[in-house]
Amino acid sequence: MGKILFVSDRIDKIKQYSDILKQHEFLAVDNEASTIETVELNQFDIIIFDNAINNCKNIMKKVKSITNKPSFILLTADDKIENEKYINAFLTDNMPASLIISAINLNLKTQKSLEQLSETNKNLADSLYRLNVLYSTSSKFAGSLDKEKLLNYMIEGMDKSLSFDLTCTLAFCTEDKPVLMLNSLYEISDELLSAIKLRTILNYKSLFDNPPFKIEDIKVVKTVKYPAKHFTFNLFEYDNMFAPISLGDNFFGCIEIFKETPFTSDDATCFQTIAQQVSLPLKSATLYQEIKETNHKLEKLERLKSEFISIVSHELRTPLTAIKNSLDILSCGKCGEINESGIKFLSMAQRNVERLSGIINDLLDLSKIEAGKMDYHFANMNIHAVIDYVKTSLNGLAKEKGLNLIAEETPDLPEIYADSQRLEQVLTNLVSNAIKFTPSGKTITIRSHIADAAQIVANECFKQDIEKLSGKYIVVCVEDQGIGIAEKDLLRAFDKFAQIENSLSRKAGGSGLGLPIAKQLLEAHNGIIWCDSEVNKGSRFYFALPVSQIPSEKILIAN
Amino acid sequence: MKKILIVDDEQDIVESLKFVLEASDFTCYCAYNGEDGLRLAKEIMPDLIILDVMMPKINGYKISRLLKYDKKYKDIPILMITARSQEEDKLIGEETGADEYITKPFDLSEVVNIVKKYLS
Repeated sequence: MGKILFVSDRIDKIKQYSDILKQHEFLAVDNEASTIETVELNQFDIIIFDNAINNCKNIMKKVKSITNKPSFILLTADDKIENEKYINAFLTDNMPASLIISAINLNLKTQKSLEQLSETNKNLADSLYRLNVLYSTSSKFAGSLDKEKLLNYMIEGMDKSLSFDLTCTLAFCTEDKPVLMLNSLYEISDELLSAIKLRTILNYKSLFDNPPFKIEDIKVVKTVKYPAKHFTFNLFEYDNMFAPISLGDNFFGCIEIFKETPFTSDDATCFQTIAQQVSLPLKSATLYQEIKETNHKLEKLERLKSEFISIVSHELRTPLTAIKNSLDILSCGKCGEINESGIKFLSMAQRNVERLSGIINDLLDLSKIEAGKMDYHFANMNIHAVIDYVKTSLNGLAKEKGLNLIAEETPDLPEIYADSQRLEQVLTNLVSNAIKFTPSGKTITIRSHIADAAQIVANECFKQDIEKLSGKYIVVCVEDQGIGIAEKDLLRAFDKFAQIENSLSRKAGGSGLGLPIAKQLLEAHNGIIWCDSEVNKGSRFYFALPVSQIPSEKILIAN
Repeated sequence: MKKILIVDDEQDIVESLKFVLEASDFTCYCAYNGEDGLRLAKEIMPDLIILDVMMPKINGYKISRLLKYDKKYKDIPILMITARSQEEDKLIGEETGADEYITKPFDLSEVVNIVKKYLS
């Protein structure tokens, strides 16, 4: 059954058609004004225009501008059919009733099919739109590690796909206290807000128990689309849906969504999908935040450690200076004669002051290196100058111990780009270690030569370090005939933590930090250090520095 | 006799420096903070100043700068004692004008040698 309007001023035709179409809802109008009025008030399936009516084409045009839905059928006097753009079908005056009925029914059927098709199309378009929203929302989720942004993306996605009136998102993950994010179409009055808060507390009571939160603890973040209009308490009669936002044991919050018109099952699926999708990035964001906080703490700890060492070293220096000065004054005899055993103990005290001062210097150096605050003064220089300086300054100490300190130098070694003072520090450390661990009558030799990275050989412990080298290097070796180091301890020799526990360094009266410092100073020169040893026969400590490390900009200036 | 001004808030260190320098026939004047040090320097016109860096009121770097920028005092040699502390590191980089630096703990004989180098 369809709803049909018949536009005609011929009474016989009106009667004929109302008889033929009596199974349908039939209405007839006989002039332009009542046609327009009727069309505006009703939804017809078919409108039949009688061509005989005055101004027929004009009426059709006006009706078309009001409604698109009905089929237009033109009733003409003869079967001479004019090409008319609004017309879906034609009837003629002399057409038998059966033909009229079948024509009308056919039209109604087509009309229904078209309606269904358009409905399906609309649904398809809706689904496609939702899929697009889901896709763009999940892309946004993937691109952020900020929890607040993630929750906003979630709400934005829901707004686009579900066009809600209000969402209440209770988040436990963005701040220390619970945050209630209200995204609403219209303004929410204070009374309504209190009611929503109360409802939230009551709904999720268990979440507020541990740790205990009160209604005042909830922080409200409100976003209103059209602040000019207000929601009323009717809001609580709206259709609503709820979803938790969680992953595994992590609970991030929950979301409730309100809409005046009822939600469909598709709406529910879409809502749950988005609420689930946000959980994974929220978890990643939580982990990321934890890592960042841990890193921050570690950095702070590292800084505190360096500062502590620096302050302590400084505080130790001043009293140490007073002790040292007093001992020096006593030992020079200006305060009176001291007997032999007195001198022995005085020199013991002096020796240990020197040792303590060495340890403080080493600690300070190491903390400076580790904090990246060590100053280097790089310049082009010859390694011979460093070797000569160290040999001259330690010759006396070697002689005192009955040792022979010699330097075997290769002439015409190329220059290196380095901080001579730091290299002196490194070599002094190696040579004074050799002096400490070598019995009297033996020889300590300092050698230097140039080598290709490929020619440099080291034992298994240091092979990996050597393999990283490329180009030409100046290699310096300090060889002693001392007690040597067991193979298992070779690697640990440069490890600051192991050395502090090392009984050997304690006996020899050093901080045990000399070698780790040397290692780091050489690394700052892109050089390396390694050693080779045989127990009771002696050790060889090597270091290699790259040749011609003149920075490229300097070469440019020179050119 | 040459006059030496020792400025250091550590009394024990001032004492030991005074002892060895007097033994080498120098006349010593002592100040235990920066303010007194600066005042005394202007009052007695010493031949050399031994100056600690970290001191209350006015630090050694500042005293050194004030004297070295003053025509009247700029020729007085200044021997600066440093402890290589972090606070000192922060002050470094500013021009101090000191003639010599010596790090704690130092050898008294070294100090005497430096003083003699400037005053003989």
